[in-house]
Amino acid sequence: MLDGYDPCVASDGLSRGKNLSAARAMSILQRAGVNAVFMLLVFFTGAGGTAWAAGDDQPPAGEFSNGDCIRCHRKTSPDLIDAWQQSAHGKSKPAVANCVTCHGNTHQGATKKARRNSVCIDCHGGEKDPVVHSYATSKHGIILRLEQKEWDWSQPLEQANYRAPGCAYCHLHQGNHNVSAGVRQDIMHTTKQEDVAEVMRAVCQDCHAPRYVTRLFENGEAMLNIGRMKVREAAGLLQQARTEFSPEELTATEQRFNKMRSHHLKNVLLGVGHQSPDYQWWHGHPALDGDLLRIKGGIGELKRLRVITDKTADEVVRQTGR
Amino acid sequence: MKHKPVRYVWVPIVIALLAIPAGFVYVNWSKSGSGAGLYSRQWLPQAVFAYWDPDDFYDSVQTMKGTFKGKECVACHEGVTPGIVKDWRASRHSQAGKKVYCSDCHGNDHQNLHLPTPDVCGGCHATQHGQFQDEKRYGFPSHALAMERALDAKHFVDKPKAEVTACLQCHSVATKCDSCHTRHRFNAAEARRPEGCITCHSGPPHPDDETYFASKHGQLYLKEGQDWDWSKPLQKGNYKAPTCAYCHMRNGKHQVADKSIWKFGIRQVNPLTSNNEVKRDQWVKVCSDCHEADWSRQRLAELDKERKQAWQKLYAAERVLKDLRADGMLYPAAEERPPYPNDWMGRYLPYERIGFFEGQASAFFNVSPIERDYFEMWYFDNLGAYKGAAHADPAFVAKGHAAMERKLTAIRRAANVLRTLGEEEKAIGRRAAPQELWLKGEYTEYNREHN
Repeated sequence: MLDGYDPCVASDGLSRGKNLSAARAMSILQRAGVNAVFMLLVFFTGAGGTAWAAGDDQPPAGEFSNGDCIRCHRKTSPDLIDAWQQSAHGKSKPAVANCVTCHGNTHQGATKKARRNSVCIDCHGGEKDPVVHSYATSKHGIILRLEQKEWDWSQPLEQANYRAPGCAYCHLHQGNHNVSAGVRQDIMHTTKQEDVAEVMRAVCQDCHAPRYVTRLFENGEAMLNIGRMKVREAAGLLQQARTEFSPEELTATEQRFNKMRSHHLKNVLLGVGHQSPDYQWWHGHPALDGDLLRIKGGIGELKRLRVITDKTADEVVRQTGR
Repeated sequence: MKHKPVRYVWVPIVIALLAIPAGFVYVNWSKSGSGAGLYSRQWLPQAVFAYWDPDDFYDSVQTMKGTFKGKECVACHEGVTPGIVKDWRASRHSQAGKKVYCSDCHGNDHQNLHLPTPDVCGGCHATQHGQFQDEKRYGFPSHALAMERALDAKHFVDKPKAEVTACLQCHSVATKCDSCHTRHRFNAAEARRPEGCITCHSGPPHPDDETYFASKHGQLYLKEGQDWDWSKPLQKGNYKAPTCAYCHMRNGKHQVADKSIWKFGIRQVNPLTSNNEVKRDQWVKVCSDCHEADWSRQRLAELDKERKQAWQKLYAAERVLKDLRADGMLYPAAEERPPYPNDWMGRYLPYERIGFFEGQASAFFNVSPIERDYFEMWYFDNLGAYKGAAHADPAFVAKGHAAMERKLTAIRRAANVLRTLGEEEKAIGRRAAPQELWLKGEYTEYNREHN
């Protein structure tokens, strides 16, 4: 599928081997095209730091409330507001994160500031939260940590303008304010979420070869599916156990199951999404293995006790003599 | 009669002469399957393995035809993957008198590209490559042997391959140089920073990041490191505090694990063998760049002591488990739990793996909870304590030992429950069957079919 992707060829069927200069021209034109579209976009919308330079129009000075931002940007950049309102940030009322949360309450440095990871980390649990930590220990996170001081943060979030992606580079790629577009909403189910992968695939290809990205995504999906299998296996056992034992007897096992689904499976997802081998593995799959076997152990112990105490229990076997 | 013994001498000699080449043939045969490593005939690789173990699995893209010069690669990839080209432009490869182009490492035939292995980098960087390969003679733990270590691990072979991809991602440090010198900048300075190591050297079994950053060395680095000149070689006087690379790759030597005495903390070692004394002297030399030699020796002796204490705790737990096994009190027993898919011997002679030498590395799945407790005590708490001791983070040592104490208590308590239940069951002659719970289930059955 994406193996066939190649703008040099795909754009007009130009044979790459025969006519390099034409292909090169295409590639340059294409980049120029993207930049032109972006410039036009920022010109008309008034969003982004470069807009004012292009339009020779300074953004209004002073402090603004979130209501002020929306009133004005509803006119100047309606798409941006719409995208934000579709996202987990802007969907609820009041919004979880609004313009001021990430951009501050003045236009001064508003864009640059919001592109830095720090604005995200403050709300997303801090440095030790798996969401943040899985990224921070990835190669992307490491490169960013070491080099971010030297980067020009006024660059738009596209075209590999940054050597490694920060939170915003991927989740607000090309300034798309629907941060949820590339995030799975339901960790247990894949249906209707193909577009999520597509959104992110496009981002990765700023730097990585199309086939590499495809293979990585397929592998990540398979890895996540195996995690789901473990959770479903545990869920099935627990469902059966609920018909046999009281909620009090199952308290510890229920708690473990909740942690399995909400923490350890999520770690696999974060490990895949943020490319952290440690979250895919040690915080992910072996942790799920431990949950599964301990859930089995917990239910098994109750079953043993019942056989010992209840002489009428039917699920018994002779002592193996071992 | 006189000549008979002489004649019989030939029997073992002939057997040996046949057995030795037969052994080589068998090992070669077992390595020639669809996978890689000793168990290659028992598994199929994921497509993505091409990028972690290129020697074994890389296959060139076929979507583009033709051969290209370096400048042509750059021209087109500026559009396809601008990040790669930007990185290359900022690297020394693009600035050297004779530029190192894409085609120099990847080849110029687009249908026959390769992913550069250390051998390719070694074409120019012969010193570093030679040192890196030389690390193999020190045995495990090792960067140069890391891929073999992963591929030949039974739990890697036993698990569905999509599940264990992350193993190869880190163990690819043996098969690609960009684990430390990230592509396509390939910067030596980046690899000198401790952060360059922590994508792999973090997490429960090897909290190198946490322990180093919490140490005085790490604290100094965190406070002042951003102002140090990282272009300087890893030599005495160049850095105010040591980093991972300063100690483990002193003077830039790429034999990273050449001084490994305690073997990752994974099994008990005699730290005072003559071989380990040589390594100890080398450690003292490293520490002596800043500290007094005697003082350094004392610190290393403290590490010996910490290891001894850790193993006393681990062996205490191991005894509890082995006693349970001897008395048939583990539940489920080995024959009642899912077998490891490729362990054909385990199918005929099922046994519970307790302790390093019995293959406890696989004891994190398909085992009873008490065995998993011991696995975590050994692989997480113990290894964490070791890293804390080695990197001078006393709080982490205390945390690890406290956790081991807690686990030991929990294991003893759980063992009592197992014994009580087991004895009651014996007394009444009835026992709940574990098979339904342990042998069935979506993942369990999938794992039996897919590995």
